[in-house]
Amino acid sequence: MSDQALSPSAPARVKMPSVPGVVMALALLFILFAALSPGFLTTGNLSNILVQSVILLLLALPMTLIIMTEGLDLSMGAVLTLASLVLALTILSTGSLLLAFAAAVGVGLAFGLLNGWLVSMLSIPPFVATLGTMGAAQGLALLVSDGQSVVGIPRYVRQIYSGDVIGIPNPILIGIGFYALFHVLLYHTRFGTYICALGGNRDALTLAGVKWKRLLISVYMLGGAMAGVAALLMTARMNAGHPTAAIGMEFDAIAAVALGGTSFEKGNGWVLGTLLGVLTVGVLRNGLNLMAVPSSVQVTCIGVLVIFALLLDGMRSKS
Amino acid sequence: MSITDNPTTGASGIHLSKDMQQLVYRLLAAGLLCLALSIASDAFLTSNNILNVLRQASLLFFLASGLTLVILTGGLDLSVGANIGLSACMAATAIKATGSPVLGTLAGLATGLLIGLCNGLMVAKLRIPSFIATYGMLWVLHGITYYYMAGESIHGFPPEFRQIGSGYFLGIPIPIYLMVVFLLAGTFFAQRTVWGQQIYAIGANPVAARLTGIPVDRRLILVYAFSGAMAGVASIVFLARLNSAEGDIGETMTLPAIAAVLIGGASLFGGIGSVFGTFIGALILTLVLNGMNLLAVNASWQPLVTGAIVIFAVWLDMYGRKKA
Amino acid sequence: MRAVPDTMPRTVQPIPADPPGFPLLELRGISKSFPGVKALDDVSFPIWPGEVHMLLGENGAGKSSLMKVLCGAYQADEGEFFHNGEKVEINSPADARRFGIAVIFQEFSLVPYLDVAQNIFLGREFSSKIPGLLDRGRLYREAQAVLDLIGLDVSPYTKVHTLGVAQQQMVEIGKALSQNARILVMDEPTASLSDRETERLFEVMRQLQAKGVAIIYISHRMAEVFSMGDRITVLRDGKMVGRAMPDTSTPDELVRMMVGRNIDMTYPRHFTTDPGEVVLEVKGLSAKNGIEDINLTIRAGEIVGLCGLVGSGRTEVARAIFGADEVTAGEIRLFGKQQNGGPDAASRAGVGLIPESRKTEGLALIRTVGDNLAVAGLPKLFPNNLFSPRTARRTAEEIIKRLRIATPSPNQNVGVLSGGNQQKVVIGKWLAAGTRLFIFDEPTRGIDVGAKSEIFALIDQLVSEGAAVLMISSEQAEIVHVCDRAYVMRSKRIVGELSRSDLSEENIVRMGMHDE
Repeated sequence: MSDQALSPSAPARVKMPSVPGVVMALALLFILFAALSPGFLTTGNLSNILVQSVILLLLALPMTLIIMTEGLDLSMGAVLTLASLVLALTILSTGSLLLAFAAAVGVGLAFGLLNGWLVSMLSIPPFVATLGTMGAAQGLALLVSDGQSVVGIPRYVRQIYSGDVIGIPNPILIGIGFYALFHVLLYHTRFGTYICALGGNRDALTLAGVKWKRLLISVYMLGGAMAGVAALLMTARMNAGHPTAAIGMEFDAIAAVALGGTSFEKGNGWVLGTLLGVLTVGVLRNGLNLMAVPSSVQVTCIGVLVIFALLLDGMRSKS
Repeated sequence: MSITDNPTTGASGIHLSKDMQQLVYRLLAAGLLCLALSIASDAFLTSNNILNVLRQASLLFFLASGLTLVILTGGLDLSVGANIGLSACMAATAIKATGSPVLGTLAGLATGLLIGLCNGLMVAKLRIPSFIATYGMLWVLHGITYYYMAGESIHGFPPEFRQIGSGYFLGIPIPIYLMVVFLLAGTFFAQRTVWGQQIYAIGANPVAARLTGIPVDRRLILVYAFSGAMAGVASIVFLARLNSAEGDIGETMTLPAIAAVLIGGASLFGGIGSVFGTFIGALILTLVLNGMNLLAVNASWQPLVTGAIVIFAVWLDMYGRKKA
Repeated sequence: MRAVPDTMPRTVQPIPADPPGFPLLELRGISKSFPGVKALDDVSFPIWPGEVHMLLGENGAGKSSLMKVLCGAYQADEGEFFHNGEKVEINSPADARRFGIAVIFQEFSLVPYLDVAQNIFLGREFSSKIPGLLDRGRLYREAQAVLDLIGLDVSPYTKVHTLGVAQQQMVEIGKALSQNARILVMDEPTASLSDRETERLFEVMRQLQAKGVAIIYISHRMAEVFSMGDRITVLRDGKMVGRAMPDTSTPDELVRMMVGRNIDMTYPRHFTTDPGEVVLEVKGLSAKNGIEDINLTIRAGEIVGLCGLVGSGRTEVARAIFGADEVTAGEIRLFGKQQNGGPDAASRAGVGLIPESRKTEGLALIRTVGDNLAVAGLPKLFPNNLFSPRTARRTAEEIIKRLRIATPSPNQNVGVLSGGNQQKVVIGKWLAAGTRLFIFDEPTRGIDVGAKSEIFALIDQLVSEGAAVLMISSEQAEIVHVCDRAYVMRSKRIVGELSRSDLSEENIVRMGMHDE
């Protein structure tokens, strides 16, 4: 900064929009798996990757916004699990899918409200606040299910996940819909502008007369609601509720966001990057699956990729 | 320039420093908890149950004591639970391969230490925020452990090794002795060494600490390595007690360990806390969980209660700061 | 000791004739105190539509406090505001905005990853016909219009973090202009601008003037004070000490108004005629923090001043010497030994930094006086790494006694001490470390008068015991009275050295001013 102040006449350094790291990672993995595994490059499998990535996308989109506010939500996986159980149980007891869906989203909203309130009103650091609520959601998930899977869900629910409209699988349509929604939210509404400012310069918001505390709560509530939506797809996919189904899925979401180039500082983020990050995680998991690599190693690979992405992020912000 | 701004330290009566007061409150809380439990349940005040509580608390304490130092610097180590898993599996493998409990123990400790060292390097040198670095590490370790164990378990260790976890000496379980040893050693390190003092200074104000000539990076690496090594210790005792190593060993212990440190009065913002406080914190948390057990409360409530305790403890700390 | 003439507020005559009608805004008797400091003391002046009102004063004269009062960030303790002749209250930023006051601070209020247009209209976005959505077309059109107005040649789609400091400053100006400000307050807006950008800014200012916008303009550059100003107000020690018109006064008169002051106390100092060995030698030092080609020498027994305007790079020099900021060229020799390492190496070599902001950089506020006093000396006091609370306490007690720190015991929390005593603790922590070169950065900031003289007595004692001192201060009077020599900085370079005989406030101000 200061040397620029010295030579102000020099033209400002304009960053060339270089190829984002996530695109390279995605391309490399794609080529790698296409070469290594014959089953990879088939229409069926590629469509499969997309379908399987949708649930993760539903979590990663709000996670992007949360991270852009210099926050974090570690409770998302546990809340998704809880919501999915509540959905399954409600549908069994009432038979109404609509009611069940509302219950799931309600559970998500409640946890989002709690998270947001802890972070915004009590100023508890987000990672601890959501670590605590993660414990709470896990405990509740075990309580409502008694540690058992909830089965016996009517078969039509499955259609939500496995059905299609004019040949396009439902989950892909849902994914496209929510991606578009978040794109509009971030780039075409006040809400989106302020999210960027929440992470970038809260004082600027205060000076502009924006009440940001309520805004911050609503970001976490959006995260909770999306976990509720994801719960519907997840329950439909498994045709059951399972008390540990999505434990740890917040890690995949955080990984996808970090891979996508959203920074943990200064409100620097983009949803297209997150989409690419989700696809990268999806391709990685799918390719490793095809090569019969156990799921555990996949997690390690993602972890290493994330640390690598963070390193790059750090180097970029330093230069 | 007169001595007017200090009404707190009067000449008469007993006055305790603020830290001591906090400890006394916590001891009182533990005492009340014991009283309540002994009224609520006949099974509580039996020597068996008390030893059981202490033994459970010891496992939690090993993990939490290392974590205390990390939190004293204003950081967090979310990987300690996963660290236990991998360290235990490494120790188990080494024992099976060599037949030597000593080599096995060393393998476990070394694994823990190495993981901690990686955390320290990420935090101090690469400047990745500690909660993200160690959260990433958590999943890396998980993956490695699950892959390595492939759903199997390693069990059946030599009796002398199992003594560490389930043996008795003079009627008291060995882990309790170990807890006392580490309590003394940890307290000595934090209170009676230059490094310990510098760790407090770093947590209280990292910028000032650096401008006071404290080698902040080196101390941070030390602290994370120590936390990793203590997870190694916990893994050994755990392994010896269970007599079996599985991939998910220790998985659920991170949250309780953090809870123990925070109940013990440590501040998440660094510079405040003590190993002895954490010991009391571990005791309180174990008492709560033990009490729930005795009162036949569904075990599924445990993570919920622990999570609520973590948030409550942080809120208490924040509230105290706002008032001060 | 040099006699300082008692210059009472010396108004340049005649008092500028006020135009007819009501001023746009008038301040009457504005006062604002902070614990220990009277930041503003009975300041009154009118601001007329269409004028550029230059505000002059040394560092700490009260200019920024006045700005903060104007924009509603601070509330005045006393005094009244009149807007178009009507008495009004300014108690919040919203009040200030209602009266059309817009302030451009030097610290930026921009969001780095939003683009130029979004930043300009932050909080005032345009809604589109579809409820909930933004009218982005209008946003960028209006932003382009603002950019055209200020002549900033960047796209409104550019993310702000990619802009240079000068361009960010222009965006700030644009942001204020777009609010249709009637009164625009600018704090050294040209400090980071190039000549061309400065010219462009002046053009914009003239256009605004023509539209009746009043501009309050804080500056350190005499040239622009005289070329742009319609009216000049000089502040000193929170008081308004003079009003002048540019065509009836000279730069020398203004400088005298700025620095002339009553010294109501003398600083004790025992000057030595022959300083000892060279303690610090800096050659051609450049660092990442911006300083360039710094050369200086300090001998044992000397107090060497480092002066210049705020932002001229004084603190940066101190940090580079202490190893806190990365050095890119040149060398630092301490007691003849080349020094390259972090603050831990520097403190081992006998350097101690007493930073400007003692609460955030000097002390651990949640710890006790004793802890803070012992912390720097730990490796020296306990070379075998075994810490003894008793020894630490004894050391702390000795220092408390020696520095006469007003604390009942070493167990007192350092946060509750007064500013002067806190400063003594920061100095004291280096005593335990055996420090030989003390670097003071604004040692008397926020300290009351009595404590100031104690601090200087202490500094004098340190050098008479053979220590060397580098002292940064914005209070030229302090430099003049205390230092053996002084270096003057401007734009991150040392531009001159003043020997004891040349050391005067006027010389420092002249050398340090952008008066090209």
